[in-house]
Amino acid sequence: MDKGNSAAMSSSSPVRAMVGASIVASGITKVYGHGTNAALHALGPMGLNVKPGEFVSLIGPSGCGKSTTLLLVSGLESVTEGKIEFDGQILRKPISDVGIVFQDHLLLDFRTALKNVMLQQEIRGLDAAELRARADMLFDRLGIAGSEGRYPRQLSGGMRQRVSIARALVHDPSMLLMDEPFGALDAITRTQSRHDLEMLWMETQKTVLFITHSIEEAVGLSDRVLVMSKSPGMIVEEIKIDLPRPRPAHLGEYPEFAQYAERIYQIFAKLGVYKF
Amino acid sequence: MVRQIAFGYGQSAIIGLAAVGALLGLWEVLADWYDVPTWLFPKPSDFLGRLGADWLMIAGHAMATSITILQGFALGVLVSVPLAYAIVSIPALERGLYPVIVFLNIMPKTVIGPILIIWFGIGPLISALIVFLMCFFPILVDAMHGFKHVDPRLFYISRSMGATNWQGFWKFRLPAAMPAIFSGMKIGIVKAVEGVIIAEFIASDAGLGFMIMQASAFMDVSLMFAGLIAAALVALVFNSAMSIFEKVLMPWSGRGH
Ligand SMILES: Nc1ncnc2c1ncn2[C@@H]1O[C@H](COP(=O)(O)OP(=O)(O)OP(=O)(O)O)[C@@H](O)[C@H]1O
Ligand SMILES: [Mg+2]
Repeated sequence: MDKGNSAAMSSSSPVRAMVGASIVASGITKVYGHGTNAALHALGPMGLNVKPGEFVSLIGPSGCGKSTTLLLVSGLESVTEGKIEFDGQILRKPISDVGIVFQDHLLLDFRTALKNVMLQQEIRGLDAAELRARADMLFDRLGIAGSEGRYPRQLSGGMRQRVSIARALVHDPSMLLMDEPFGALDAITRTQSRHDLEMLWMETQKTVLFITHSIEEAVGLSDRVLVMSKSPGMIVEEIKIDLPRPRPAHLGEYPEFAQYAERIYQIFAKLGVYKF
Repeated sequence: MVRQIAFGYGQSAIIGLAAVGALLGLWEVLADWYDVPTWLFPKPSDFLGRLGADWLMIAGHAMATSITILQGFALGVLVSVPLAYAIVSIPALERGLYPVIVFLNIMPKTVIGPILIIWFGIGPLISALIVFLMCFFPILVDAMHGFKHVDPRLFYISRSMGATNWQGFWKFRLPAAMPAIFSGMKIGIVKAVEGVIIAEFIASDAGLGFMIMQASAFMDVSLMFAGLIAAALVALVFNSAMSIFEKVLMPWSGRGH
């Protein structure tokens, strides 16, 4: 199936692949403004490997290049060096079989919440009724039912973020890229959203690359946590999280969770991210 | 939503009308008191009377003026918005064409009128062209600003959805630039209603400007004042229509509820 071709996608949408896509990146670096005076080495060299259907978190200090990694993996920014394979294909242009939640919600303020989500259907030429049903389901599951007709300006920050999550999921992509999707949420909504995302993920086979500042979120959601060093970032440690799913709300009370969290703290301390 | 707007306008209109009424009343009383000759400085009762007595003729001219505004303004929008998009998208145009437009815009547009008359003769179409020249530039500048300052990260979204250039324009860039385009159109309509009267002075055989010019030739000062009032009303209608249009077309741009 040609993933870049929306016409091909819509005609074959009922028989879409059930398994998520894989990412294999090797030796990638990103220098913003390469070759100019203002060149800024933002990332790498770094390798990254995400298996089909896996839930992987990237955690690291502010400015280490997490958002940059996501933009590279999505093909929206080009790598300065190295290469990225998406499902075995070398990435040359933005991938479209993907749902992205950006660090800022990036909703279009001239569209209502529902129309923002349905933009996926309009642009990709997918079946309107089917996508509308999925949108309704997602609004419901994400706790934003009733705000369909409201404009982004009329929503709270947390609601906007959940609308952008619905937009990333409505077309049922094989991969989800999420950049601190719950960063702006209050603690209660954050815990609930984490659980909602975990349940949605468990029902499907999507691959998820999840960027976060929160150790609790990383451990609470991931199969693997990749810890990044300070700028220019690279992955310094990989931690497999062997905890049953779905994971409970108050992870802090579980000793296994505390051990994982402690390990990440230790790595940060060693990297000089924390100075106590 | 629309009723709310109408109510807001209704309220300020009532206050405005009351103020105008008071002013006219004062004027009438003072003119009576000092016995000012009507042919020099008419009383409100004189020119409001003319507005009533000759309303069919005045309305006809007001209609001609309105059509001229609409034609010139519509042409302005239809030319400037696509041109703004082209200039913003093609760097060579921004470097080559835009300075030329800026220079041409400095020239007084009313001087172009007599030239146009020599080329095309007198008629409402020439006034429409002058109106176009007057409102073209502000719309162009603001539309360019709008297209230029679309958050570049919106392209992340459009590209990750696999949007074509066409979709990128219609679904992302144009609506994102709309508030800026509208602020240009609001300046443009002000320029248009200002410019149309002058354009009709010099280049038309119909419209309020032409009527006022004719009245002036006959020393009919009360008709000139009636024409002035009619012109103000036409301006008011166009400016309000623009604001209402904006609220209806861009409900998102207002404050939240
Ligand atoms: N478009 C850009 N142009 C130039 N420099 C950039 C650009 N985007 C990011 N950078 C720089 O690259 C570095 C990495 O930025 P990035 O946004 O990837 O960090 P991050 O890990 O996501 O940070 P945070 O956790 O605060 O979101 C920073 O030094 C940033 O200033
Ligand atoms: Mg970031």
